[in-house]
Amino acid sequence: MNPVHATVDPVPGGGSLSEFRLARPTVAVEAGVLGDKLRLRSAVIFEGWTMSDGELSLGAFGEGFVDRRHPHTYVHELMLSADDLLGSLDGGARVSLAVGKGFVAFGTDDPMSRPALRFPVNHHWSQVLERAVATVGAKVGPVAVEGSLFNGDEPEEPGQWPRIGNRFGDSRALRVTVFPATGIELQGSHAVVASPEQREGAGPDQFKWSASARWARPIAGRPAYALMEWARTSELDGAFVFSTFLAEGQYRIGRHRMYYQFERTERPEEERQLDLFRTVRPHHDDNLLGVTRWTIHTVGYGANISQWAGVRLEPFAELSLGRVSRIGAGLFDPEAFYGRRSLTSLSVGARLAWASAGGMEHRMGRYGVVAMPRHSGTHDH
Amino acid sequence: MRRARTFDWWHTGMAWILILVGSGCGSNESTTGPPPPPPPSPPSVNSLVVAAGDGQVGTVAAGLTEPLTVRVEDTSGQPVSGVSVSWSVVAGGGTLSSVASSSDASGLAAVSYTMGTTAGTQRVRASIAGTSTTATFTVTARAGPPATLAVLAGNDQAGPTGAALPVAYRIRVDDQYGNVVEGATVAWTVVKGGGSVAAASSVTDAAGAASVIHTLGPQGGGQLVDAAVQGTAVSPVRFHATARSAFAITGGGSNVAERFGSDLWIHGGYGYSGTWGNRNGTPGNAVKIWQLDPSGAPTLIDSVVTAGISTVSDVEVSADGSVLMFSAEGGPNAGLYIYRLTDPRSPTLVDRALVSTGLHTATFGYIGGNTYAFAAKNPGSPALLIYQIDATGPNPITLVSTTPIPPAYGIHDTFVRDGIAVVSAWDTGVILYDVGNGLRGGTTSTPLEISRIATANGNSHNAWWFHNPNTGERRYLFVGEEGPGVVGGAASGDIHVVDVSALSSPREVATFSVAGAGTHNFWMDEQAEVLYAAYYNAGIVAIDVSGDLSGDLTIREIARIQPGGTGNTFTWGVQLYQGSVYAVDMLSGFWQLSRP
Repeated sequence: MNPVHATVDPVPGGGSLSEFRLARPTVAVEAGVLGDKLRLRSAVIFEGWTMSDGELSLGAFGEGFVDRRHPHTYVHELMLSADDLLGSLDGGARVSLAVGKGFVAFGTDDPMSRPALRFPVNHHWSQVLERAVATVGAKVGPVAVEGSLFNGDEPEEPGQWPRIGNRFGDSRALRVTVFPATGIELQGSHAVVASPEQREGAGPDQFKWSASARWARPIAGRPAYALMEWARTSELDGAFVFSTFLAEGQYRIGRHRMYYQFERTERPEEERQLDLFRTVRPHHDDNLLGVTRWTIHTVGYGANISQWAGVRLEPFAELSLGRVSRIGAGLFDPEAFYGRRSLTSLSVGARLAWASAGGMEHRMGRYGVVAMPRHSGTHDH
Repeated sequence: MRRARTFDWWHTGMAWILILVGSGCGSNESTTGPPPPPPPSPPSVNSLVVAAGDGQVGTVAAGLTEPLTVRVEDTSGQPVSGVSVSWSVVAGGGTLSSVASSSDASGLAAVSYTMGTTAGTQRVRASIAGTSTTATFTVTARAGPPATLAVLAGNDQAGPTGAALPVAYRIRVDDQYGNVVEGATVAWTVVKGGGSVAAASSVTDAAGAASVIHTLGPQGGGQLVDAAVQGTAVSPVRFHATARSAFAITGGGSNVAERFGSDLWIHGGYGYSGTWGNRNGTPGNAVKIWQLDPSGAPTLIDSVVTAGISTVSDVEVSADGSVLMFSAEGGPNAGLYIYRLTDPRSPTLVDRALVSTGLHTATFGYIGGNTYAFAAKNPGSPALLIYQIDATGPNPITLVSTTPIPPAYGIHDTFVRDGIAVVSAWDTGVILYDVGNGLRGGTTSTPLEISRIATANGNSHNAWWFHNPNTGERRYLFVGEEGPGVVGGAASGDIHVVDVSALSSPREVATFSVAGAGTHNFWMDEQAEVLYAAYYNAGIVAIDVSGDLSGDLTIREIARIQPGGTGNTFTWGVQLYQGSVYAVDMLSGFWQLSRP
């Protein structure tokens, strides 16, 4: 969990806002049997209780929240995966099947398991999560291919479950990952997500593409991590197209870690409610008020001060400097809405985690053939 | 008179046989007794001569006045009686009174001929069976009387008022069999629009065609010219043209700077307009009140501000002017509001019905002597809510019924007329409910669906059922499509025309579109047969909807204006009132225009 005090300046309507939140209070369980060929991954997040009105976050949007990061559903991940299903029948290959509620085989890792506290603006362009999903994976040599079937509807509140009965299978994704060397991944994926923002299924579909390169191996004997990703989402036969580019890196020296993130992400501006941090859900038309581009630099520093085994207590500070600009026409004028185009946020808090069996924060969304072995010690960020 | 001469082998042969028999048997006869009397000789025919009826001119499908007559002659030119003459039609398809007739004592044989139905040359042949002797009659069939008029060119043009149309109106006159009629006099009459034609009448040429140039009158909109064949009861044909004109700004604009504008209603010299969303931190929670002057700019005299809402999404004044109603969205106080207009300058709140998810629109309907509000509950469990409104009673707002609408983006607007509620239900299409019409036995308490139609592209947003006072027709339903857009910048969506002459089986028949723009709310000048459409980034568009509507109606645009100018126009609603067009633009405010 992350007790955090965040200040964002400006916020909708102008002026700054500071607040304290208990973000990411999570209980994660990972277990395996049959030599880990059958694995369970679960993560229960209590943000619906601790931050039901979201978390101040520069440029965040999605699930009816804007300029705040939405709380996750209580059952964030509950996936059962069977790995190496065919044993020796497939020779040197591996085939896996994963089912449950969790991440779709699309895009990059959940921001929860990445260096920065601030969720990137592109969260809803670069990941598809909290869906009822079935993923089949196959890995031959350094190449893994995964295909997912899932429900397109995204949740609107923490207690909501996917509409499995009438929507499971209406969306699909395919991801190809290449592992050219230990700790290096190249990924490309495509997803067709049916009506993600209109749970009844009447909304526009999203056509998504993602490509990324990930580095997680030591440099000069110290853990290093880097990620570059590009993603694109198209709606309504190309009427709306949103792109994002993000690059981030982290370097650890002993107990200290430093990280930096850059992103440039386009965001839809929708009709807001009287609460300016909320947009109308479900959609009832296909109009936007405009499109904005968010360019944000984030730097952070944390130091693990825990002396107890299995416990991490890491005070941190994170500063984001951003700029928002309008793309094309529309009612939404960021300068008028926020009071200015440059924005800052400062978060100070602590990461507090305890792991009973060596793991800290597993890479959410990695199942079957692309999952890291448990206790592998590769949790580099 | 022509004579057909042929050699008669049959009769010549018989003569030789008789000669041979006479010479060969003579000795026997001389020995057995006196010779018998010679048998009668068959007539010796040399020719058929056309005696009468050739070269006549008649009318298709009519009998010729003179019979077709031939004379049978022998080799010496003498008439031969008792010869059977065969008759046949070889061209023109007419009919004969008989296929055979015998020559009389004068050698004459005759039949009557009725012309075929194809105009032109027709031929009849007379012949004697067993011979090659023939005679041919050639007659000419002229077209029958005018029976139909067909449009050849010039219909559905458009041009500026007062200008001659570039293509002449051209018609063709046919008889009942499809033969073009030459020489018919066609009268051209301006029926609507006050324009003129180059000639009051013209005569059809050899192709049955006549034409005239139409100069449009001074009024924008549909203009009509009838073409009729003089002296006949043939149904005239009607040419339609659209006269293009222009709106002119009377006043207004830049008068609601702090909020985005939304819907409007005009009544009794006052205007009421809503506000929308959030403009620089100011919610759209106000109804603006305007004092109108037909000759001048509207004057803002007051505002009704409601706490706890962010949008006034629909505004209407009851037909008697006593009640102001608006729907509200976006906040804890969203719902339906009614105000008494005892003083139209200062509305007095009567009652409100809160709906947590808000009401997108609310429309008055008058059924069975009662006043109702048809409200669109949307989003979240979308439904048509029908309230009974009695502003002076103890229960000013009473919910009468809730009709769920499929959640395919739900319900957006309702148009109520003749006891039928036309619900615009986005991708579900347009749903027609009987709420007191009698067609299905529905009531406001129990609306019963009559039919539904999904218009092209879905996104059905609003509708207007056109009752044409000039023709009595209630044939067309105009449906607005609100396509994807960026509010304040770009929009899309066409106007779809649905033929509802059979309410139980509506069908889409026509479409109107403006490139790069999208339609929103409508108003109609039904007498003038003009549809006014708020067209978001295209401003206000006037469309000629006179006559038959089919296919692409884009040419029927009468006028278009962006009242706030390019980049400052995104028009939500429009209303015609006492000769002026009033509009609310989300960006540039409340406008008063002269109609085109």
